[in-house]
Amino acid sequence: MATTFKTLTANDVTNTRTLLHEAIPLTGTIASGTYSDENIKTFSHGMFESVFDYPYLSSSANHIFDITHGYSNTSNLSGTTAHIQNSKKINVYNQMAAVLVGHDATGSIQLFDKDGDIAGGGAKMEEVFFLNFSRLLTKDEIKKDSFRLTLATGSQAGNLKAMPITLGDYGAASSYLVNSPAGEYGLLYTASADTLSPVGQIYYQAGVAVVSASVFMGTTSMKHVAETGSLPYSDLGPGEASASYQNLATGSNIQLLADSIRDRIVDINFNNTVELNSTIYFCRANNNEFNYSANPTYLSSSQIRVKNTTSDNPVSYITTVGLYSSDNELLAVAKLSEPLKKDPNTELTIRVRLDY
Amino acid sequence: MAFLDNSGDIILDAVLTDTGRLRLAKGDGSFNITKFALGDDEINYELYDKNHPSGSAYYDVEILQSPVLEAFTNNTSVLKSKLLSVSRTNLLYLPEIRNNATDGIAQNSSNNIVSVAVDQSTVDALKDSSGNLLAGIIDSAELDRNTTDKKRLLFDQGIVSNALGATGKVALDADLVETQYIVEIDNRLGFLADPTTGAQATPSFIDDDNIASYYLSLTTNSTYFSIAPLQSSAVLSGPAGYRLSLLVGGSTNLNSSTYLFTQLGSTSQITPIASAVDLYHIDTTIRVTGATTGFRVDIPIRFLKQQ
Repeated sequence: MATTFKTLTANDVTNTRTLLHEAIPLTGTIASGTYSDENIKTFSHGMFESVFDYPYLSSSANHIFDITHGYSNTSNLSGTTAHIQNSKKINVYNQMAAVLVGHDATGSIQLFDKDGDIAGGGAKMEEVFFLNFSRLLTKDEIKKDSFRLTLATGSQAGNLKAMPITLGDYGAASSYLVNSPAGEYGLLYTASADTLSPVGQIYYQAGVAVVSASVFMGTTSMKHVAETGSLPYSDLGPGEASASYQNLATGSNIQLLADSIRDRIVDINFNNTVELNSTIYFCRANNNEFNYSANPTYLSSSQIRVKNTTSDNPVSYITTVGLYSSDNELLAVAKLSEPLKKDPNTELTIRVRLDY
Repeated sequence: MAFLDNSGDIILDAVLTDTGRLRLAKGDGSFNITKFALGDDEINYELYDKNHPSGSAYYDVEILQSPVLEAFTNNTSVLKSKLLSVSRTNLLYLPEIRNNATDGIAQNSSNNIVSVAVDQSTVDALKDSSGNLLAGIIDSAELDRNTTDKKRLLFDQGIVSNALGATGKVALDADLVETQYIVEIDNRLGFLADPTTGAQATPSFIDDDNIASYYLSLTTNSTYFSIAPLQSSAVLSGPAGYRLSLLVGGSTNLNSSTYLFTQLGSTSQITPIASAVDLYHIDTTIRVTGATTGFRVDIPIRFLKQQ
């Protein structure tokens, strides 16, 4: 019986899962400089600001990340409602903490734990910046041990871009944490050899970097120390030589705080991950199959053009593979980059992969 | 669509068709790939040079250099010609499907295309001096009035050449006889009907582009097929299979409204007797494909409505 279709058996179909990674390099000049802040979108509610890769009024601009800042209601900075946007900063902290850290047994929002050992207690990060990366960049998740954020910590009055420190999830490929309701996360350190204390967290599936404000503690040491008593942070704010983090956090709005850290971003690098689920169809053409064609040019007065006599082998040329449903509807199509010769002396297996 | 880069390794560019995406979105399990077919739409076999002076290695040099287009996502635009599996390798002739405009309905002499009058007023306006609808026009107002082959679309399957013997004298190989057809028509414009009763057929599937597919089988739709393999045909000279007869009717939209005519069509005139009749018309194509052998034929059709 002549036929144009061949049924796929269970042995011809298989499913695979592949993780694809792509490098995402974000230079600091995109966050501040290149587009004279025309790529920075601010909002009247003042809860965060958005960074685009091009002036955001352009249709070709892509949203790449958001910046915001918050502190907990137990922070030394939250003592008085006279502080500018005090409640909004607390709200931001609580919202992010609720999503990323979760609630305790009493239903209270838990604070960001410095070493991730929530159950064990210990020091908390009560004043933090949040960098929320768009799904366009992070895709399914950020690859572990690939996140690097370089921040300048120089004096505002002196060289702003001086003294860069690089925060990274060093070693997180084998030491990430899983006690967050938002998925897996790693701890940010200032160097791979630094085991003194983490200065932030990177939530891989959520695509959120939480950076402790303690990285701006001063010029003598960039490492985190316990924030007890008065906060020693200094020299963060733009254009204000005396604008210590402490002064900014209490005397400025979230937008100015976001501007401040944005100006100090030197580089952000990470690899994203795409989880590719594929179905592979092995389309097997045996030696006695698909050797003739229904192409209108295949026949001349019903005679096969590629044969002179009955003893000549039939020949056909494959350019297309069609995948059909049982009711003969074409559901997927694959094209070969060049024609493939098929005759009774050849057998072919064409591997068609559909990714989801 | 651009051409695929053919300078290096052979690559495969695969996409879901629009119908595939539609079914996937439905989530009802209708996206279920069960079989495959191979196609050669870009190939022109006339380039196969059996007499190339440099020998057999050069017969298909030009064919193998044919650039291949990227995949179309429109399900009706690809796999127009499929490769055919026949276990025998000694075939020199293959049967074709030919529109028989000699025994069946022919082109209307006024507009050189088979036409369908979509309503009674159009039928009445296009009658000749004897009161008969002009030749080459199907009466869609009452399809059961198309009682003779001359008013139906006929498709004969068989071998055009008589090199294997004359029609009716030599039988077509049983494995090459076409017993199932897929007929595709724009569902907004028309429908398929039983050639003997004029009853509207039910499409097997209507895709996202409103193309209706009708599956006609010798066993379940015998009224569309000749009783036996053809003993003679005006378009075949060799062994023949069955004849497929069809009627095409205009959709309710075309019958009751001029909307689609003004959106998609144009205007023209036909002069059946003395004075010209002003008409709306829409041109479309009916595709008849052999489900077994893959051979197909496209027939242009014009739907007519009196202005």
